[in-house]
Amino acid sequence: MRIILVGFGVVGQSFLKLLVFRHNEFASKYGLRPRIVAIVDRGGAAVNGRGLDVDRILKIKKEMGSVSKDPNDGSPYLSANEVIEKIEAEILIEATPTNIKDGEPGLTHIKKGMKTGKHIITTNKGPLALALPALTDLADHNGVHLRFSGTVGGGTPILDLGRKCLIGDRILSIKGILNGTTNYILTEMSEKGIEFESALRMAQELGYAEKDPSLDIDGFDTACKLVIMANWIMGKKVTLKDVKIAGIRHITLRDLMNYAKKDNTIKLIGSIDEGLEVKPRGISKRDPLCVPGGLNAVTFVSEFAGEETIIGRGAGGMETASAIFRDLIDIKTNLSAKFRI
Amino acid sequence: MKLVMKFGGSSVGDGDRIKRVAKIVHEQVNQGDKVAIIASALVGVTDDLLKASDEAKRGNIEYIHDFIHQTKKRHVDAVSKAIKNQLLKEEVMSFVKNTIEELEKVFTGIAYLGELTPKSLDYVLSFGERLSTPILCYSLRDIGLEADHFSGKDVGIVTDANYGEARPLMSLTKYQVRQRLEPMLDKGAIPVVTGYIAVTQEGFITTLGRGGSDYSATIIGASLGVDEVWIWTDVDGMMTTDPKIVPSAKTIPELSFQEAIEMAVFGAKGLHPRALEPAMEEGIPVRIRNTFNPTNLGTLIVNKQKIKAGEVVKAVSLIKSVSLINVSGAGMVGAPGTAAKVFEVLGRNNVNVLMISQSASEANISFIIKRNQLGKAISALEIAMLGQGIVREITSEERASIVAIVGAGMKGTPGVATRVFGAVAKKGINIVMISQGSSEVNISFAVREEDGEDAVRAIHEEFGLDG
Repeated sequence: MRIILVGFGVVGQSFLKLLVFRHNEFASKYGLRPRIVAIVDRGGAAVNGRGLDVDRILKIKKEMGSVSKDPNDGSPYLSANEVIEKIEAEILIEATPTNIKDGEPGLTHIKKGMKTGKHIITTNKGPLALALPALTDLADHNGVHLRFSGTVGGGTPILDLGRKCLIGDRILSIKGILNGTTNYILTEMSEKGIEFESALRMAQELGYAEKDPSLDIDGFDTACKLVIMANWIMGKKVTLKDVKIAGIRHITLRDLMNYAKKDNTIKLIGSIDEGLEVKPRGISKRDPLCVPGGLNAVTFVSEFAGEETIIGRGAGGMETASAIFRDLIDIKTNLSAKFRI
Repeated sequence: MKLVMKFGGSSVGDGDRIKRVAKIVHEQVNQGDKVAIIASALVGVTDDLLKASDEAKRGNIEYIHDFIHQTKKRHVDAVSKAIKNQLLKEEVMSFVKNTIEELEKVFTGIAYLGELTPKSLDYVLSFGERLSTPILCYSLRDIGLEADHFSGKDVGIVTDANYGEARPLMSLTKYQVRQRLEPMLDKGAIPVVTGYIAVTQEGFITTLGRGGSDYSATIIGASLGVDEVWIWTDVDGMMTTDPKIVPSAKTIPELSFQEAIEMAVFGAKGLHPRALEPAMEEGIPVRIRNTFNPTNLGTLIVNKQKIKAGEVVKAVSLIKSVSLINVSGAGMVGAPGTAAKVFEVLGRNNVNVLMISQSASEANISFIIKRNQLGKAISALEIAMLGQGIVREITSEERASIVAIVGAGMKGTPGVATRVFGAVAKKGINIVMISQGSSEVNISFAVREEDGEDAVRAIHEEFGLDG
């Protein structure tokens, strides 16, 4: 299976490391033989139709900053769009950073990939939040699969639980903590008794929060994930503009103290019910959703099975890379089903 | 003798060459032969039209403009060189210019619509022959012969509507071609007909695709019931092997259709098996001759194969740039449908299989494909076949070559295989795969790429093909 990887940050590199660790197991257990035929990062591309030397590429990335520096396979002037159009492959993994303004460059990458007949795996929430109904349409039209397990819950199989494990039942509503950074900040504030600003600074120092933390703390990241869940699990054709969004900037230590008196606390909760909404809410500390630190938790309310809550680490390179492999195996299984002997 | 003579693109490459062709025709007519001529486009023109169509589709008006200018110049130059008589020159010049104006209009239309259907592409591609044919016709008139030019449409070659690869409705075509051309031949005039072009029953232009002008020649030959069809090209005929590999390779004087088809499949220059069909059906011999060496009688392809004593192998060819794929797994033993799935997967991905071999143990299937399709083929097979517990491994040898040996005399001659493989083994060459069809006219085997030429030399020598 030939793969083009666009975006070679933490997730992309973790994916390659996982590939090295698990290569034999993937082959023997799932019949999966991934060959990375191209990688594109900010500095250019590395291309080899027979499959790049993964160990060497990881080393070059680490030491020289860009895969395009590879002496054999590097091409500094090749753009992602050129690679997607010109290089033959079955799978495009889109792992560029999320941009919720216009979804670019990921959106164009995904569309070009579909047009050239490639199945898409993405960890990039921007294009999905802005245009998931359109992308699903385009995937069907081009006869390709679109998978994005890693966009919600990192390695925690939240999307699969909702869509596959609860099949046959009807999911009435979903609510949960979907952003690790804000949950870390709120947990620190209430446990250590510090104000929002200092908790945010700590999160930034530890690398949990970006320099520009707006995507997380203003609720947009959670909103993106809600859009993805609403489309994928509940079949609602919604985009980011359909979500009511409020973040946690204005939450004070005092607010938390007040809630704590009744054994409650404040969490940034995303919910899908009649509508989609992100806002800080008070919840009981005994609620299964009330998880500490960087964890994610999602509760599904279904018609017959009642409430189920899944808890797990919401982000991280290896976690998200494992979600990419889930998608790869899922696509491979779907494709080979036609040829069952 | 009644003849169809077809002249390929390199034979009518420019004005001087067209004059040379006219001379060849003249000599034949002087011997009292009745001749119908089929002409290809000037060498390279069809490829250029294809490229220009693509540019037109993208709306590249500037490219089209340049292309039209150059095409006009090329044909005008050919007219100036090929024809002396001023009156004839002017007549054909205006014909050429009108045709090119029509072509420019077609391209402009394509550019504005941004659309190129197989139907319009066939129309565009017909211009190459529509331009070359009148020039050749007038150069015949220029040396005093009576000639007239026609398109495949004019003479009534009717096909289905499978644009790009149309198939003639043979009986209708034969009837119409005979009606239109026989009276001309009878009075000693020479029809000059476009190769490659035909028409649907609704009157839309089609092209004959692979085999092209050669196909036109055999269709017209079969229609007119000629004694021989001569394909004039730029080589002396079918060779015992590629002279670049064995400099002492020789032209083969006579071959059967079956042998010629086997060789054509294996890349012998200038013939597509499809083009031989109409002649083979009517039992009309086809002769391949060299425009640039007309004293050589070339290769004659005939229905009845005369097998001379001791003449076992006639030719050996090398097919380069291929790869070998091996699909294996103990689970394949006695699992019906495995081979079907393997080839279904390849078919769905448009991968053409050149050679197949399976051991009787059924534990592996090997086959050979073109090298540029290897990545796609391996990926598709891995996705479809691995992880089901039947196919365990899919491996490949990227750089392989096929050596193909052709000769009707091999049939029923014991020991041919021993000689073939013995000769190869003596050179220390390892054979990676073997296949022999039950027709016994052909043995093919695959070797590593670096061994290909040595294997060909060994066999050429073993069977004394250089005389």
